[in-house]
Amino acid sequence: MTHARRLALAHFWIGFIAFAIALVLGVWQMWVRSPLPAPFLTASTYFSSVTAHGTAMAYVLTTFTVMGFGYYVAETALARALPAPRWAWTGFWLALAGTLMAVVTIFSGRAAVLFTFYPPLIASVFYYIGLVLVVAGSWIWCVLMIVAMGQWKGANPGRPVPLAMFATVANAVMWLWTTVGVTLELLFQVIPAALGLKAQIDVGLSRTLFSWTLHAVVYFWLIPSYIAFYTMVPQAAGGRLYSDTMGRLTFVLFLIYSLPVGLHHLLMDPHQSNAFKFLQVALTALVSVPTLLTVFTIGASLEIAGRLRGGRGLFGWIGALPWERPLVLATGLAFLMLAFGGFGGLVNMSYGMNAMVHNTSWVTAHFHLIFGGTVVIMYFAIAYTLWPSLTGRAAPSLAAQRLQLWLWFIGMLVMTLPWHYLGLLGQWRRVATFNYADPIIAAWGPWVIVSLVGGLILLVSGLLFVRNLLQFAIGRASHVPAEVYATAVHPPLRVPAALNGFRLWNVLVLVLMLLAYGYPLAQFFIIDPPGALVHRVDQRR
Amino acid sequence: MAIGEEAIVRSELRWAAVSIGVVSLIMLALIYAGIVHHINPPSNIEPIDPKTLHLSGEFTEANLGTRVSAEGQVTSRIVATQFTFQPRCIVLPANQRVTLRFATPDVIHGILVTGTNVNTMIVPGYVSQVHTVFTRTGELLMPCHEYCGLGHSEMFATLRVVPASEFKPDAQGRVSCDAR
Amino acid sequence: MSTDPLDRPWRLWASVAILSVFVFSVLFGFVLLPIIQGRGAGLDAFESICRALGLRPGSPAAPQPASEAKAQPTTRVAWSAELMQALDRPSAIGAQLAAACTACHGKDGRSVDPKLYPDLAGQSAVALYKQLNDFKSGSRLSAVMAPLAQPLSEEQIVAVSAHFAAFPVRSLPPAQMPAPSEAIERLVARGDPTRAIAACNACHGEQSGGPPEAPRLTHQGAQYLSAQLRAFKSGERRNDIYSRMRNVAAVLSDSEIEGLAGFYSTTFTY
Repeated sequence: MTHARRLALAHFWIGFIAFAIALVLGVWQMWVRSPLPAPFLTASTYFSSVTAHGTAMAYVLTTFTVMGFGYYVAETALARALPAPRWAWTGFWLALAGTLMAVVTIFSGRAAVLFTFYPPLIASVFYYIGLVLVVAGSWIWCVLMIVAMGQWKGANPGRPVPLAMFATVANAVMWLWTTVGVTLELLFQVIPAALGLKAQIDVGLSRTLFSWTLHAVVYFWLIPSYIAFYTMVPQAAGGRLYSDTMGRLTFVLFLIYSLPVGLHHLLMDPHQSNAFKFLQVALTALVSVPTLLTVFTIGASLEIAGRLRGGRGLFGWIGALPWERPLVLATGLAFLMLAFGGFGGLVNMSYGMNAMVHNTSWVTAHFHLIFGGTVVIMYFAIAYTLWPSLTGRAAPSLAAQRLQLWLWFIGMLVMTLPWHYLGLLGQWRRVATFNYADPIIAAWGPWVIVSLVGGLILLVSGLLFVRNLLQFAIGRASHVPAEVYATAVHPPLRVPAALNGFRLWNVLVLVLMLLAYGYPLAQFFIIDPPGALVHRVDQRR
Repeated sequence: MAIGEEAIVRSELRWAAVSIGVVSLIMLALIYAGIVHHINPPSNIEPIDPKTLHLSGEFTEANLGTRVSAEGQVTSRIVATQFTFQPRCIVLPANQRVTLRFATPDVIHGILVTGTNVNTMIVPGYVSQVHTVFTRTGELLMPCHEYCGLGHSEMFATLRVVPASEFKPDAQGRVSCDAR
Repeated sequence: MSTDPLDRPWRLWASVAILSVFVFSVLFGFVLLPIIQGRGAGLDAFESICRALGLRPGSPAAPQPASEAKAQPTTRVAWSAELMQALDRPSAIGAQLAAACTACHGKDGRSVDPKLYPDLAGQSAVALYKQLNDFKSGSRLSAVMAPLAQPLSEEQIVAVSAHFAAFPVRSLPPAQMPAPSEAIERLVARGDPTRAIAACNACHGEQSGGPPEAPRLTHQGAQYLSAQLRAFKSGERRNDIYSRMRNVAAVLSDSEIEGLAGFYSTTFTY
């Protein structure tokens, strides 16, 4: 087995183990919040669990999956050996060590600050250092992806970089930009406070720096799904990619518009001005463009596949698609959930309506639907697609894979639709227990229990996913993995340099970030607001 | 493949135009709400030192709660602190413009008022401010909606919206829950 | 740089697109919306643009309330980053001053009569500083402590607080620890959402992240703890900033006060 394949397997497994643990914690948290009596509940266990759930899902599952998938793409799409595999393994072990450090700290009760940190609450320094190591591991990955593409371009002058690799490098470049915000926050504010070097923190600045990372990080998680949509789904459906150029444009738009929009997470904060909130909301509205383009291009690609398979009429091609293939099924389900989630997102970004839903269950519902319904379900499908090639064995049962995907879809809807509704009623976020003696809150109880049922379905689905992967061990050996990448209807012979690299786009990102974040960050150094005292959660003063 | 490259490019451009149209509509709706309903996010860059919040100025303990100024402007000053609001019960008149001002001496908090559009973060270092009109009378919940530490779940206050006829300020212009 | 002619339109149009979004946002978000909204609130254009940009406080769409402040602080303690760092450093002055405390609080900060006087050993320096300061200013009333605290300077209060905080806490023989009732343990670790009582540990726990001046309660005498809780409940003691303790004590029953005092006086865990 090549390094890239072993790397992919190792990364995927770490991510999926973290995912399974986080699922169990998530279900327990929903149980605690419901009117039903739950075991093990203390304030400390609950918020430690929330921290672990968020950290495992948002930092571990995603980062490891993105890295593993990237190594696979770099080898297979470029048809070259991975450059510097020793560095790739270094990145893996760094990120794994960081993960273990963070997890041990959380479960010792010294990091109940949730995965979004909330300074001036300050956890044990080992939690933050653990996360920095995870990010450092991912930076190695970014560099390797950029180097791999550069070497390929050197060996193939003038030829367009395969779309899967172009998109992977777009994600690597975006991730380098994205992590600047949180890294500045950790290195200059949070870690010095955790080490006891600083006794106060400028909270407005730390929230603004974190917002820089907070939206783009979602696109970092999401891009593997979009890579699958563009480069794998048309092939799995038996068709062609409608437009290769549109794919490139989509990933470029993600790169430039996912970064200068983070202030929409701070719409209800006092310390950012109306004017810059408006500017970033306008840019946020533009982030919907690449998703709308994707829906069209992938829809058209699937239509080609459906018609090639004999589908007729306006909608007949939909029925003719090979829905028995997990990747096609996952795409269909993901598009449905993306439609719901995307609508919720539009509500969140318009600040009039945001006031109605900010920090309510609506937002929790929104990001679980986007994360579970578009990111994670496609991670499942990607794993199912790559596993035969990674393990050299065929899946013993596609039916079990389909069942797992359906359960995930049903669970997501049963969990998040009540959350959306409760959010509109005003149910607020991040609490362990509600006062069900209050008549307003008592009326929410049944819906909270319904969402708990959804959570249980998700847990069953998640465990079935792990079982399905383990089942490959008993599958029959299949030596010729099927081609996973789709060709375009008109494969490009030549593309402009703008769509074959990132120089132009890096310049534009820099310009946009200066325009959108320059003053919002600089103002803290101009007005020099008073700091807030550090509140340590890991030890007494 | 029967589809020509030109046709694909044309269809993609048409769809791109539709996408831009959708985005423009969203922004137009925001601008409309801003012009007609004066919708604004609760920005208020008004620094205040959390470390000495309790010592002087408007957020000292004795100065908190609802107060009607000589000009008839209703303002309620509320402190969010680990893990309580002070005061925990706030009286406000219905169908009248009121201003809620919040500050915190310690960590990040946030509030919403159930069944209304009142929502703001409360960030140490700044005064948060919301202008609103309550249209329905009754007791509303005002919980802390941002993680502020282990006691976050138990941090909430009550907002009592009363008809204008029952809203009776005392000699200093103050109205509190206990007085009724 | 690339000289590919295919590339030029991309560079041009990408820049034009981004700049036009920026110009649109500045025009509406920075200028037009604030002016139109400000007019409704009786603000001039300059003021409303300044407010929209965050250069002046207030909303561009509403008049700013005037503040008529009356200062009646519950405590005169002013926190600062420097103070917090000073409290982490024990000094020689602290040891000299501590001699005056030993008659009640014992050598090494272990109370001679835990029913009446709290242990100071291992207590949080911030908590000690706050209480000494409050005794001095009269925010916390005590006929015994007031005359002792009044002559102390700020530096002396810091030094003596840091001094006692550095001692190890008293160890209790395990035999003294009866099993606490489930209801009391629940209040300590979970709180009670029906009465808006946060878990005691949310402030007083070893890993709480609560207010820095929240004292450590373990190893104190049960009688001393219950007396303080009752004083907070009746309002006799009111030096807790923003009623954090009074709000909780007000809704505790007498038996809960006894139970909690007993719990903390005999536990190692929290």
